[in-house]
Amino acid sequence: MQVRQRVYAVVLGLLMLTGFTTSSYAIPAWSRQYGTSCSTCHVDFPKLNDFGKAFKDAGFKFPKDDESFMKIPPVLLGAPANKDLWPHTIWPGTIPGIPAIGLRYNHFFQVVSRNRNAYNAQLPNGQVGTYIPRVDNQPGYFSIFTAGNFGSDIAFWVDDDLSVAGSNANGGLGDAYLKFVNLGRILKLPTDSLSLRVGQFEVDLPFSQARSWNLSGWDIYSEANIGAANGLQPQNVNNGFAFSSPGQGIEISGGHLYRGYHYSVAFINQNTSGSSAAPANVDPANGVGFSSDSNFKDIYARFSYRFNLERDPASRNEIQAAGATGPHDHTSLNLGTYYLYGRSVQRATGVRSDGLTQTVITAREPFYRVGGDFSFNYRALNFFGLYMYGHDKNLVPLTPSGFILPTGFIGGRAATFSGGFLEADYLPLPWLMTIMRWDRVNSTADQINGIGADAGNPPPSPFFSPFSSVRNRFTPGVQFLIHANIKTSFEYQIRPKQIVYAPGTNFALTNPFRTNSAVAALEFVY
Amino acid sequence: MKRNFAAVVLMMTVLSAMAYAGSISGKVSGVAGESAVYVEAAAGKTYPAPTAHPTIDQKGLMFQPHIVAVQVGTTVDFLNSDTVAHNVFWTGVGGNKKLTHNLGTWPKGEKRSFKFDNPGAVPLLCNVHPEMSGYVVVSPTPYFAVTDKSGDFKIEGVPDGSYTVTAWHEGAKNQSKPVTVAGDTKAEFTLTK
Repeated sequence: MQVRQRVYAVVLGLLMLTGFTTSSYAIPAWSRQYGTSCSTCHVDFPKLNDFGKAFKDAGFKFPKDDESFMKIPPVLLGAPANKDLWPHTIWPGTIPGIPAIGLRYNHFFQVVSRNRNAYNAQLPNGQVGTYIPRVDNQPGYFSIFTAGNFGSDIAFWVDDDLSVAGSNANGGLGDAYLKFVNLGRILKLPTDSLSLRVGQFEVDLPFSQARSWNLSGWDIYSEANIGAANGLQPQNVNNGFAFSSPGQGIEISGGHLYRGYHYSVAFINQNTSGSSAAPANVDPANGVGFSSDSNFKDIYARFSYRFNLERDPASRNEIQAAGATGPHDHTSLNLGTYYLYGRSVQRATGVRSDGLTQTVITAREPFYRVGGDFSFNYRALNFFGLYMYGHDKNLVPLTPSGFILPTGFIGGRAATFSGGFLEADYLPLPWLMTIMRWDRVNSTADQINGIGADAGNPPPSPFFSPFSSVRNRFTPGVQFLIHANIKTSFEYQIRPKQIVYAPGTNFALTNPFRTNSAVAALEFVY
Repeated sequence: MKRNFAAVVLMMTVLSAMAYAGSISGKVSGVAGESAVYVEAAAGKTYPAPTAHPTIDQKGLMFQPHIVAVQVGTTVDFLNSDTVAHNVFWTGVGGNKKLTHNLGTWPKGEKRSFKFDNPGAVPLLCNVHPEMSGYVVVSPTPYFAVTDKSGDFKIEGVPDGSYTVTAWHEGAKNQSKPVTVAGDTKAEFTLTK
């Protein structure tokens, strides 16, 4: 892999990493359908309360007696009695009585600290870096999303960013899937023990990045493992996989998010290169694309168990705990673990052992991501965190003496990273949420690369790019619900001093790059 | 013989009362939907509290019925017919914030009861479903009615005499007016927000 390509890959990773907005969704269509407030399911949209989790578990419907809560009844696509005629008729289903469509728009105002252009000042003579303005108004996303239930416990979800702005935008199709809920009933398994999801979806992360309530995503979820770009520690790892991107495939899952066990196992497309194919020799020509870059499918598995800690035993198994002043989310402790395994593909032009016949040589570099998570909830306080360790085997092209091109690969120093986040959310009032976060990423590739280590190919200075041995970020924030569907948010991203290398000299600079930033957002869903 | 005499006296008393009892009927306009109309207390008159318990159900994420009018001293039963948890509380009675109360949470099919000893409108809320809204309108006398959706009402059994009659509608200003009841009497109200 060329150095320049690697640098671009690093920059691309940075842009993904430093994306300060995340998609988040609450579903006004359900408010219309059930005639109920957003706060029935959300603490501070899109953060789910216990009832919202149960609603999601049930396939986007009320866990019991769903029909009795609908203010707009569904349209029958077949009378229920048709079930008796099956397979001689189509199995009867339903569609929502109104188009289950919600829309979302947000707008950002950002302020960056005074030294925001300090890095550019270090560029060699003749090179002009990207100018970073002190303040900026940024239109965010205009998104459409639709979700609901087609009857027979078949749930659907599609979300798409119709319009995005900003260099960090990662718009387009988000999740789009069908979920066959409670399939276990066919096999006489316990209720809700087996469901199947098919389509494109964010894997079952402990804390959803796609539906995060924070203005900025958790850094560790955006960490792609890109090997060292310099020649001192050659790494042929170019794994663009990050948990923040959705995968395509299938997932089986079971249990509940609001109590007891929950598991999921997903098989999703392997695509670590970021490229997809539309080959001319597959009919219809160019009409079929392939988003995998290898035959292998990544495997993701998660298991968690939630202990509801209410004193009243009868209340522990209910969706919400009973209290003297009304139902509330359980006092609970959720512990979980997750694991992803894949085999990153690196293809290169090489030669056979004769040294003459060119061929394509392929390295399949096993990689895994593993970690654990916890979430503790006590009334208005939610304290949670996640740890992740990433490991990519490093297969470096081997060019025998006298050969121009490599004949194969040899193991090198693995590319690893670790980190995670801790976050505390507290609601002193139902419309006011205060947030404190700590994000940390420790990457060997980061350590080796530094920033601008290759003086001949300095990356453009991205907006927020503290990029060195260990990246810490402290992010206090506050969010206000103006209405249940209108929110204004603020967060201040504090990045402590980090080692940065001068592009021209490769010497460490003392403190040139401490770009704190403040982001305010206004968003509404309807 | 004594028993027959008592029966006759009772019958005479009832017939006598019926002869002097009229009704107040009319329409509440200026607002849409149901309203409550009740006769204000007259000085020196007291009325025994009723023993019947009207029920307000929480069903389909709604208080049903939306408005219940009761006499002071009435105990209202609050039922939860939903499979989701509910709560009932109010922020005051007749605008008196000191009379706030929270009944808590109870499972499907069970009831909680509360005796309303103060007159005035009681806005019912659920703290997990903020869109839910209901009202208990506590009348100081046994003479009250809830209008139909077009605003028409009729209060039966009001003894002839002079009264103050009040119309209430959620979100509107109360309107009170003197009404002299003599048989079937008309009273019209126009409320404003």
